[in-house]
Amino acid sequence: MKSISTKQLVGVAVFLFAIFVAVPVAIFVTGRFDFFFTLTSVALLSIASAGVWLTFHIGRINIGQGAFALIGAYVSAILVTKAGINFWLTLPLAGIFAAGVAVLIGLPILRLRGVYFAMITLVLTEVVRLTALALPITNGAKGIVSIPLPMELSAFGLTIIPDFSTLANTKLAFYYVACALMVVCFGAMYRLVHSRLGHLCRSMQQNEELASSIGVNITYIRIIIFAISSFLGGVGGAMFGAIAQSVYPSSFQVADSVNFMLNCFLGGLGYVFGPMLGTLVLYFGWDLLFELGKYQMLVYSSIMILLMRFLPNGLLSLTFPKRRNAKSAAVPFKSAQEERSR
Amino acid sequence: MKDLSMEQILANGVYLGSQYAMIALGLTLIFALMNVLNFAHGQMYVIGGFITYTFYGQLGVPFVLALLMSCITLAILGALIERYLFNPVIKRSARDESTMLLAAGIAFLLDALILLIFGEKQHGVPKIINGVFNYEFRLIIPYDRILVCLMAILSIAIFICFMQFSKTGRALRALAQDRVAAQLMGVNVDRYSMIGFALGAMLAGLVGGLLVTITGINLGMGGPTSVKAFMMVMIGGAGVISGAIAGGFILGMLEAVGLAVLSQYGDITYLLIFVSLMIFLAIRPHGLMGKPWG
Amino acid sequence: MRRRSLLKAATAALVVSAIGHGAAFAANPVLKIGFVGVTSGPAAAWGISNQRSMETRADWINETGGYKIGDVTYDIEIVSFDDQKDPKRAIAGMEKMAQEGIHYVVGPNVDDGAAAVRPVAEKSGIIYFPYAFPKSLYVAPASNAILGMIANYQSGPAIYQYLKDKKGIKTIAFVAANESDPLSQRDGGIAAAEALGLKVVSANATYQVDTTDFTPVLTPVVQTQPDLLVLSGVSPANAPQLIRSARELGFQGLISTETAQDAQVLSEGAGELANGFISVGGASTAELASDTMKEFVDRYTKKFGEYNDESNTKVYALEYILETLKANPAAIDNVEEFKKTMDTFSAPNPFMKGDAQLSYVGTTSFGQRRQIAVPLVVNVYQDGKFETMFVAKVD
Repeated sequence: MKSISTKQLVGVAVFLFAIFVAVPVAIFVTGRFDFFFTLTSVALLSIASAGVWLTFHIGRINIGQGAFALIGAYVSAILVTKAGINFWLTLPLAGIFAAGVAVLIGLPILRLRGVYFAMITLVLTEVVRLTALALPITNGAKGIVSIPLPMELSAFGLTIIPDFSTLANTKLAFYYVACALMVVCFGAMYRLVHSRLGHLCRSMQQNEELASSIGVNITYIRIIIFAISSFLGGVGGAMFGAIAQSVYPSSFQVADSVNFMLNCFLGGLGYVFGPMLGTLVLYFGWDLLFELGKYQMLVYSSIMILLMRFLPNGLLSLTFPKRRNAKSAAVPFKSAQEERSR
Repeated sequence: MKDLSMEQILANGVYLGSQYAMIALGLTLIFALMNVLNFAHGQMYVIGGFITYTFYGQLGVPFVLALLMSCITLAILGALIERYLFNPVIKRSARDESTMLLAAGIAFLLDALILLIFGEKQHGVPKIINGVFNYEFRLIIPYDRILVCLMAILSIAIFICFMQFSKTGRALRALAQDRVAAQLMGVNVDRYSMIGFALGAMLAGLVGGLLVTITGINLGMGGPTSVKAFMMVMIGGAGVISGAIAGGFILGMLEAVGLAVLSQYGDITYLLIFVSLMIFLAIRPHGLMGKPWG
Repeated sequence: MRRRSLLKAATAALVVSAIGHGAAFAANPVLKIGFVGVTSGPAAAWGISNQRSMETRADWINETGGYKIGDVTYDIEIVSFDDQKDPKRAIAGMEKMAQEGIHYVVGPNVDDGAAAVRPVAEKSGIIYFPYAFPKSLYVAPASNAILGMIANYQSGPAIYQYLKDKKGIKTIAFVAANESDPLSQRDGGIAAAEALGLKVVSANATYQVDTTDFTPVLTPVVQTQPDLLVLSGVSPANAPQLIRSARELGFQGLISTETAQDAQVLSEGAGELANGFISVGGASTAELASDTMKEFVDRYTKKFGEYNDESNTKVYALEYILETLKANPAAIDNVEEFKKTMDTFSAPNPFMKGDAQLSYVGTTSFGQRRQIAVPLVVNVYQDGKFETMFVAKVD
């Protein structure tokens, strides 16, 4: 991995300052406290979208992230309400459980490609929703409600995260937690993409057979990436359950799965931070257009179409024009297909 | 509990299958030509339904004429969408899948337009024929369903003949098979892509117009219809005409048989149907007759 | 970081334009009432009938000089938020209401949304009126939700009892969509039917919400030949198709549901096959509707082109909010005052003929008054309109 330049370091510092200091201050000054929840959502949804982006990175269109978010939300909710475990411990457990499910399901379905994989993951979202409706442990159609707020997390007598029910401003607390998770997630993603594994992923994205023939264990990499992706989905979902203090089979559904995918497209599939920006624009955009009333959807979708019409490679392709050439040499996994349509 | 007669299950399956096959046809045609998964297919179906509803149900225009109006409107809409949106985006985007966001945006836009123009309510039209065919209570089908089923099968047959024997059809097939080769052979790729997209949209409008007489129409039908159409296309194999027809009939049968056989399991009927679908795809990663590149 | 600042500038511009919007009203101070519900997508009909009822009523009030609460006359402004039937959006919507300084919100329309907004509503001091039935929303310690209609576990038993006594039904079957709300309602219906000694012959038939052809779903159900077929929690879009399929399969018994339906939708979708269909509505029928109700329907129709019979129930929530505020002006920005007033509140019902009263009920079901008293009007569909079958009360 190449060393991080000073410019990048400054960029990261500015970004951290912006989300942890500037934004909260701006919100307190302007009094728009409702933005806390919106931005918390953006942070959490972008974590789940990051997972989808990762599967794009190995050349798979993943429309099943809603399934893993729902699994994560249920695992955490069940552990908190039925076993009384501290929420902060259930958070990684939810991710690990989702990753475990992903490994089991991934073994057969990751052999599929292109639209077939997209379709099977879409069906998966519906399967998980219907399973949640049918199982007794998930409380079926009635959902799990009145989940208590996260408890205190302490190590060696030191409070790391205070008990949320004692906090005056839970919104701010959730915002910080979500942002911290997001920063960790994208930091890890950046590291991953620029590691050896990341390079192998990119070789798979271009041509799996070729990658396999030069000795890349593609089955193993596919499973690992899909598991990481689902882990992120599970964590994002669990966190949402804690904020809503309730989980229903419809908490994450097909529409969410599709949105996670769209976030990646909008941000740009070639950029690690694409999903973050995509989520911000798509989710926050809807909220900002709230004043338009019945024309909200009309304007929202028109903007979406225009963005895609003029920036088909995602929003980030606007700022890094140089990278486009590098990328078009390294285009998709469907290279044969691609040639046909040229 | 009395068992369902085999005839009834088969009839339900054939009827469902014929309408599903028609929905899947348009989608697969567009996919074969341009590698675009058209998320807005269901919305086009809904628009077709609403146009027939407006002309036949509200203005009293003869049904066939109203159906024709649906087809024409959708064909124009499809052509415009291809010409001004999909075509430029496909040419400029680095990865084909990027068109999915565009397709989703169009789906949202059409949804918004349908809501503003036609309202939020479920609408229906008078039946085209009354009466129910009843064979000793073993086989019960309303006459209008038989008629719609026949019309759907007829349209599918016409479509296949068109693709097989007309000049346009041959060009479209060449395009679907190998875009570069078709271009080298002198096929005007842009023009035929547009015609193909218009044809696909027209098919969606036609089914919408036909089915409004049975199921009525509301703006919520769009998204789910698209998803269902994807499933059929995947079962049969993406981008293959015969695959879409097979997929449609298989899903129709699967639902009819599944709902009859599994009805004692109640709530998990659909869960089982979907899980078996996933197992099928895991075993046959390219559907029944899909091309390996998907 | 140019991209960020660009984005921020765009954001700021949008926010400014958004804030600038609200200041159009002139003479009276404005009282904002919120609506958070679904007004787009498949379930749009539910939320839109809510939103339009509220807007129609608000326009009417403003046109006639405003609404007097205490010494101040207010213009009413409806602030609505489309949650797209997504619980996550519903939370955002409730946050938005809190931001606008709104204390009274109508909606959300479904179970998951109603449960998800609870933390925000209780924290921000918002009373909300969901159209969702789970008892946990209304039973203490929950205290900020007020059920905006009659729950199926209240109307179901009344309907079954009536049909058992008057029509002699003995067997009953249920069909529901495989979603949270309908399935919960079905389970409630089964319990109620069994308590009345009815024989449940088929209860586990379900359908996907996107089903367009119900014949395969209903074929096994109809073959059990129940006396009454209950369409649990059926959406207005699906009801006519289910009725039509059942009748075409030769079903002769009664069909009923516990949710509100629209007569025009039934007549277009099922025609005379829908005759005899039993559903629950507000004061919709000619013999019950007061002149105020008739004028409301006229204004609604004029404003939006067509009326929706679901609004017969949904017209009430806003009226309750305003009447209660009038009874206790201190509640205008203090929901605790509102809760106190609820226990004793009573006012004449403007939408119904006779001496019907508006009051808060629900002690039997929830142990506290957390439901608005809408008359339980059970309707029968006949040739394009509803006729009253019987009227009952909920306590």
